[in-house]
Amino acid sequence: MSETRIEVKDLVVRYGDQVAVNGVSFTVGRGEHLTLLGPSGCGKTTTLRAIAGLEHPSSGKISLEGHAVYDAATRTNVQTEQRGVSMVFQSYAIWPHMSVFDNVAYGLRVRKQGQHEIKANVERALDLVQMRHLADRGASKLSGGQQQRVALARAIAFSPTVVLFDEPLSNLDAKLRAEMRVELRELQRRLGITSVYVTHDQEEALAISDRVIVMNVGVIEQIGTPEEIYNKPRSRFVADFVGSANLIKGKPAGDGTFVTEGGTVLKVMAPHMPHGRETEVAVRTAYIGLEPLAGENHVPGKVRQRLFHGDFVQYVVDSPVGAMIVRRPPTNLLPEGADVTLSFSPEHCVLLEA
Amino acid sequence: MADASTGISRPRLNGQALTTLAVLLIVGFLVLLPMVFLVEESLNVGDPMAFPPVEFGIANYVAIFEEDLKTVWNTLIIAVMATVMAIFIGFTLAWILTRTNVPGREKLERLMELPYYMTPLVGALAWAVIAGPKSGFINQMWKAVGGTGDIADIYTHFGIAWVMALFEGTVAFVMISASMKSMDPALEESARVMGASKLRTMLTVTLPLVMPGVLGAMLFVFAEMLGSFAAALVLGIPGRIYVITTAIWDSTLSYPPDYGRASAMGLSLFVVMFFMLSFYRRMIRRGTFTTISGKAFRPRPMEMGRLAWVLFGVCALYVALAVVFPIAALLMTSLQRFATVLLDQAQWTLANYETALSLGPVRTALFNSIILGLGVATVGVVIMALLVWIIYRSQLRGRGAIEYLVMFPQAVPRLVFGLALLWAWLNIPIGIYGTLWLLALAYFTVMLPLGVRTLAGVVLQIDKSLEECARVCGASWAYQMRTVTLPLLKPGILAAWLLIFMACVRELGASAFLMGPNAKVIAPSIVSAFATSGTELTAAMALIQTFTVIVALVILFRVARGMTKELQ
Amino acid sequence: MKLFAAASAALCAIALAAASPASAQATGGAKLCASPQQMDGFKTCADVAKAKAEGAFTLYSTDPEQGQVKLLAAFNKLFPEIKTSYVRLQAGALYAKLLSERQAKSYLVDVIQISDMGMILDFQRKGGFRQYISPEMQFFPKEAKSQPEGFWTWGSVIMAGIAYNPNQVSAADAPKKWEDLLDPKWKDSINVKVSNSGLQHGVWYMLMPILGADYFKKFGEQKPRAFDSYVQQYGRLVDGQDKVIMGAQYSGYIEFKAKGAPLAFVFPETGVPAVPETYGIVDQAPHPNAAELFMDWFLSPVGQKALADALLLHSPRPDVPPPGGADTVPLSKMKLLTPADWNAFEKDRPAFAKEWNRIVGTGR
Repeated sequence: MSETRIEVKDLVVRYGDQVAVNGVSFTVGRGEHLTLLGPSGCGKTTTLRAIAGLEHPSSGKISLEGHAVYDAATRTNVQTEQRGVSMVFQSYAIWPHMSVFDNVAYGLRVRKQGQHEIKANVERALDLVQMRHLADRGASKLSGGQQQRVALARAIAFSPTVVLFDEPLSNLDAKLRAEMRVELRELQRRLGITSVYVTHDQEEALAISDRVIVMNVGVIEQIGTPEEIYNKPRSRFVADFVGSANLIKGKPAGDGTFVTEGGTVLKVMAPHMPHGRETEVAVRTAYIGLEPLAGENHVPGKVRQRLFHGDFVQYVVDSPVGAMIVRRPPTNLLPEGADVTLSFSPEHCVLLEA
Repeated sequence: MADASTGISRPRLNGQALTTLAVLLIVGFLVLLPMVFLVEESLNVGDPMAFPPVEFGIANYVAIFEEDLKTVWNTLIIAVMATVMAIFIGFTLAWILTRTNVPGREKLERLMELPYYMTPLVGALAWAVIAGPKSGFINQMWKAVGGTGDIADIYTHFGIAWVMALFEGTVAFVMISASMKSMDPALEESARVMGASKLRTMLTVTLPLVMPGVLGAMLFVFAEMLGSFAAALVLGIPGRIYVITTAIWDSTLSYPPDYGRASAMGLSLFVVMFFMLSFYRRMIRRGTFTTISGKAFRPRPMEMGRLAWVLFGVCALYVALAVVFPIAALLMTSLQRFATVLLDQAQWTLANYETALSLGPVRTALFNSIILGLGVATVGVVIMALLVWIIYRSQLRGRGAIEYLVMFPQAVPRLVFGLALLWAWLNIPIGIYGTLWLLALAYFTVMLPLGVRTLAGVVLQIDKSLEECARVCGASWAYQMRTVTLPLLKPGILAAWLLIFMACVRELGASAFLMGPNAKVIAPSIVSAFATSGTELTAAMALIQTFTVIVALVILFRVARGMTKELQ
Repeated sequence: MKLFAAASAALCAIALAAASPASAQATGGAKLCASPQQMDGFKTCADVAKAKAEGAFTLYSTDPEQGQVKLLAAFNKLFPEIKTSYVRLQAGALYAKLLSERQAKSYLVDVIQISDMGMILDFQRKGGFRQYISPEMQFFPKEAKSQPEGFWTWGSVIMAGIAYNPNQVSAADAPKKWEDLLDPKWKDSINVKVSNSGLQHGVWYMLMPILGADYFKKFGEQKPRAFDSYVQQYGRLVDGQDKVIMGAQYSGYIEFKAKGAPLAFVFPETGVPAVPETYGIVDQAPHPNAAELFMDWFLSPVGQKALADALLLHSPRPDVPPPGGADTVPLSKMKLLTPADWNAFEKDRPAFAKEWNRIVGTGR
């Protein structure tokens, strides 16, 4: 039994003249929670649906458990209903004409389980999402959050090995989203499900994933763990899309240094082999201190603006390397106009790929 | 008196109120008055030729149950069969064209409109030629390959229902596919992801969810079938099968004409249709099951693989049965001296077309139909736009009543309404009976539901704030209508215009009673030709009509598209 | 017996008509004009200039449209300024429409033709006709016109026999008498006209006393199909949908035969019921002068010949040759069964309609 549950190779999906997915390859390991992250139109949902068999790719290969379910070369295309993956839809797709019980039992009935088995499985699934008490209610009478849970219960009721999630939390309000995030992660760990998760919310992606794939305009920008993606963004897009970052223009000057347009020399870190044509470094706003620390890059500046965000305070500081955005814990607030020294370590000053 | 402190509201209200009152009166006059006369006549138990009647009683209604039960039974059986078939056709086509990846989807959807232009009259004529006993094409071919007897007889209950279903099937298709299109495709996708086969998905998810839409369509179609006239006229009478509409027709065409009985039957039919349509409207209002959606759907069709070509075949088959075969059959018939499908025995001739075109009535009838279409559509849309605005946008108190009045003619079978109008204008001493004016009036009245419904759809999409802004800027109601509302309605107005024009040119039921020697229109002329001329000549006339209508439509469509392009 | 006498009287009258002097006693008030104008082949009392100025003429008749168009075209050829229009309906429907229009004070028609004398008489009683004495009326036998003259005149005589398709029915099997039609082998393959038809009424009225009510009861069991026009009836013989026509209109036979259709016609020995197609100018006609001009032309040999050419109909005028070719049987050689008492005929209509509707299965 291989460790890879899902393999996607050189996937291309076209809609007429538009290319939605332009050569995407990745694997998903057993029990892994992989997130496809990106803005709308980047092709993440299309990729997910292609794995489910709901989109017809133009070329490439998709394998589940080592068996090809789509292969352009051999013209293989296994029908959705035979792939055995489960899915939670963005709109939940709860069937309004059935009860909660019947919704969850659907997959089990298709698999011709016995009545007792079905009852047991449904109740177990509903328990997992704390919806057991609503088992007999008509599905059209549920609130958004309740529908979301039922959709989840339905997806896991027949103990699938792979579950696909298509932005399942995007229709919920912020607080509920945050709670559900945690529950989802718990569930996935407990049941050991391999999951592919699609979202445009980078916070969500970072919080619950084992690995994140950042996509943009149909191609993969970067694959990595949340920490890797956050700390070592490879491109401007990733730096900008995930978390918040300052982008400083300049030129690498060899030997781990970078000269900004304003002439300041910074010590930087390059996750890749630099070849001299790079033009930007990214510094996360959270990694900039306002007191000079030894070993770090020091840049003098003046506070231009201060915005109190509750959980953190954001300063805009004018400096020789540009207007830098700095996020600090919300104590010891500095007044606008104060002089500060920006301090950030070379590790946090990442040279972006050209 | 205008009060300076309350601004300019009151004079505007007066302008509105007056117009509303006028509209209410006129529409009421057009729509309700004929019905009043019809009711009066249905109670006439004395001399049928007495205008107005002098003896009243319910004998006519009683007589329906005593003598006309067979007719009522025929009507019901045929309507039920036709409805079942039409819904089946409509559902299948809707599912294929909205839910699957059948090749050529857009072209097929466009083709689905064609049977509507064919009209049931032409369709019935064509099928009489195709499947008439002994001499129908199918039976001729059967005999030629050695069969005995007939394998097809269109002059039966089933035959009539079949033709009705073929042509009403498009209406069912449009209604059901609208309901299917509004369904979240994720509902079906999640079933398939759960492992359900396509068939199981359709049966356990799609079907239950579109059921309200299907039931609604069923009610609507059934109501239409009850009042259907053309197919029963052409195909029922040779088989001695009478339905209520043809029985009404028959009563008025004998001497002495039994207007009382005809009116009673007409009113009974109307009452039944009225209830059906009320049910239908209640059902629509309750709505289908609500589905949750955050974003707009892009309906994603199911992959059918090789099956897609089979489904394509199914759609093509429908088009063949409803359009291609009938036109081909009529064409063949019109070009022969004595209609036969056995090509070696055919005597080809253009004489039928020569005769048809030389027959004054054909030319004047076509001309009249087109003139009426142009006139009624043009004047009609303006009035209907006004009505729509009053009903859906104004704050006036009578507007619910106006909506009701305007939709009222839908519940009355066209034939019955024609009879009511005949009756009304026989008694009203203004001499427009037998002239094009009466026909114009009749057409306008029966087209009200169609035009208003189309325009309403467009009006409801116009953001109220666009109009309100004009008023805040000081525009009077009339000015706002002219400069903001009507221009925004243009695409809807054009659509309504085209629909009304089409409907006028095809009109049969209401016109049948109201024509005069100089006010002939095309559909009844074809019917009368069917009765008095050979099939060959009738086929030529029918094809000339269909062809002219299509040409007119294409021209108008081009013009309309040009006009809407200006807007964009 | 009485009927034979009446028929013979009719024949004699027709034979004598040519010799009898014109009698233009205008007890209705109208008189023959003093100096009729000589037109191309006929004399007219109409004011031709006014007729042309009126510019239009409308006819309601029961004749099939194709033929009607030809007849009116012949008139229009002589007088191109007068545009012709018509409405065609079977007798009952036509009369119903006519009366309804007049009730609504819509006067749309100038001349009517109805193939049911009962309706004609009823209309005359209602004052529907305008009396106009045409110079041509003197040549018509007494039965063929109103008394006093000028209200209505017979325009043609139509008679009904039996017709069949010799390709479908062998000469040996073919019916030769009315009674032959009761043979079960003809079940479901006979067609007739609808009860609205004047000719069909005539068939019923004349054959009932001869063949008995039982005949028609048994005939009903043959399940005949009814049609509005002889065009449909003969069409169905040609394409084999029906085998026999009971009460087949002879003029239709001639017309179809001329087109090459395979048909045979039988004049049963019992006789052929015959009724006239009667014409008259309508009171308050919108184009009275054109109407008069038309009547004069129509009743003349020129007009009657045009009628024969257009609709293959026999003229009541003895000086007009029969329509069609040399094969056509002239009136004189037929055994015509015509009602003697048109008033009785008229009174019989409702009973006939009801019974006939039952026989043809309109079930009402």
